[in-house]
Amino acid sequence: MTFFKIGLVFFVAIILQLTVFVDVRVAGVAPELLALVAVLAGYLAGPERGTTIAFGAGLLWDVWLPTPLGLAAMAFATAAFAIGSLESGLFTQSRAQIAGLVGVGTFGCVLGYALLGEIVGERGLVDLELLRIAFVSSLLNAAIAPLMIRPMRWALRGPIVFGTRAAARS
Amino acid sequence: MAQAQRTGRSPHRLVLLALTAITLLTVDLNGFGPAESAQRVVRDVLNPITSIAATVVSPIGDAWNSVFNYGDLESENEALKEEIAERTGAAVRAEADTQTLRRFLAAADLSYVGDIDFVTAEVVRSSVGNFDDHVVTISKGSRDGIEKGMAVVTAAGLVGRVIDADNSTAAVQLLTDDSLFVGVRLVSTDDVGLGHSVPGEDGAFVIDRGTDLPDSDDPSLRPAIGSAVVTAAESIFPADVPVGLVREVEEAADEVSMIIHVELTADVGDLHYVSVLLVAPLEEFRLTEVRPSSDAGEGIDPDPLNDPLAEVEE
Repeated sequence: MTFFKIGLVFFVAIILQLTVFVDVRVAGVAPELLALVAVLAGYLAGPERGTTIAFGAGLLWDVWLPTPLGLAAMAFATAAFAIGSLESGLFTQSRAQIAGLVGVGTFGCVLGYALLGEIVGERGLVDLELLRIAFVSSLLNAAIAPLMIRPMRWALRGPIVFGTRAAARS
Repeated sequence: MAQAQRTGRSPHRLVLLALTAITLLTVDLNGFGPAESAQRVVRDVLNPITSIAATVVSPIGDAWNSVFNYGDLESENEALKEEIAERTGAAVRAEADTQTLRRFLAAADLSYVGDIDFVTAEVVRSSVGNFDDHVVTISKGSRDGIEKGMAVVTAAGLVGRVIDADNSTAAVQLLTDDSLFVGVRLVSTDDVGLGHSVPGEDGAFVIDRGTDLPDSDDPSLRPAIGSAVVTAAESIFPADVPVGLVREVEEAADEVSMIIHVELTADVGDLHYVSVLLVAPLEEFRLTEVRPSSDAGEGIDPDPLNDPLAEVEE
């Protein structure tokens, strides 16, 4: 059931990204909703489950981007792992803290995506615009995070069953 | 909740996912069919939903623009009023340019994509992400005969090429992307070379590879200012598609080649409808005997690994 709930969150995020946020942009920059889902997954579900969910979110985003498949998936998974690995004692789960984490996580996602892209030969991703895009999209994601945290908590409630072995263990 | 669900921090899963991502990157970069097909299936499934959703949420975009861009709109409105007169003049000039282009083409016995089948499509979406400014989505896809690599044009000339074709939509890489190299022919001299757009300069295109200076100093041997530039027969696009008009010719620093500045005839930055030429795309560049000029210009990657001609020269 959790698998389908996460799928639903992915679905809503990608539809919003492809419709609303094609027009609704701040300084020409759109929020990175799939990165937001990835970072929140890392934060809420931890480095194991969160990384896998983030990978899925990145993979879905990759399907729509002109860059090679796997680029956003790798960047998002790494960022989610880093966020999920942070010392849990640091968290008080205040809105400000979550927004801050999402901002930092999104910045990492965008930066990681661009750097990995350059490594695999995609031109034009790393330039002065990159910092502006990373900064603005991080701010936007941080602003949206309080709206997104509830659906993510709802989606992550319960074990996520990705396959038969996982199902057997759970 | 976060603390309760935090399990181990073993990087094994991350390593596994990274290896998966590397595998996907490798197969995708090599054009592995099933990987591309899988992506097309996902897009084809979501495209109708996206299309309906876009119609439903379009008032949000309109409201956003009217609220947050109101000041801009007001000043734009004023500016537009002032520009209308200029526009009229510009339209006349553009028409004159187009007619000049047509005359050049006619004089050179070229018919602009005369007998090539084409499909006209609407531009339905601009960039979806933050890094794909030079990509637009059009309303026709593979079921209309569109294939990856096909040339995309307007009545004024070349605007880009198809980089992905789903069932009902296709993604088009615009000519404004300076990584899109075009094999071109200068109609006035019959020279061929490679060109690309100039980053940050609307409508600017530069031919900086493959065009040698004439042996003589006779200026008539150089490309005439205002003469037409069309796609070369050896390029990845169909031959003789108008690209632009020669604006300036300068000598490169190596003193043996020319750098030719071209004004694109098509307004690539403001597209609503385009036509896709239904000609099977060539697999790779076939231009020979071209080399980059030593002062190729801003935005040109001097790295030979990024040279699209490297494959040819090999």
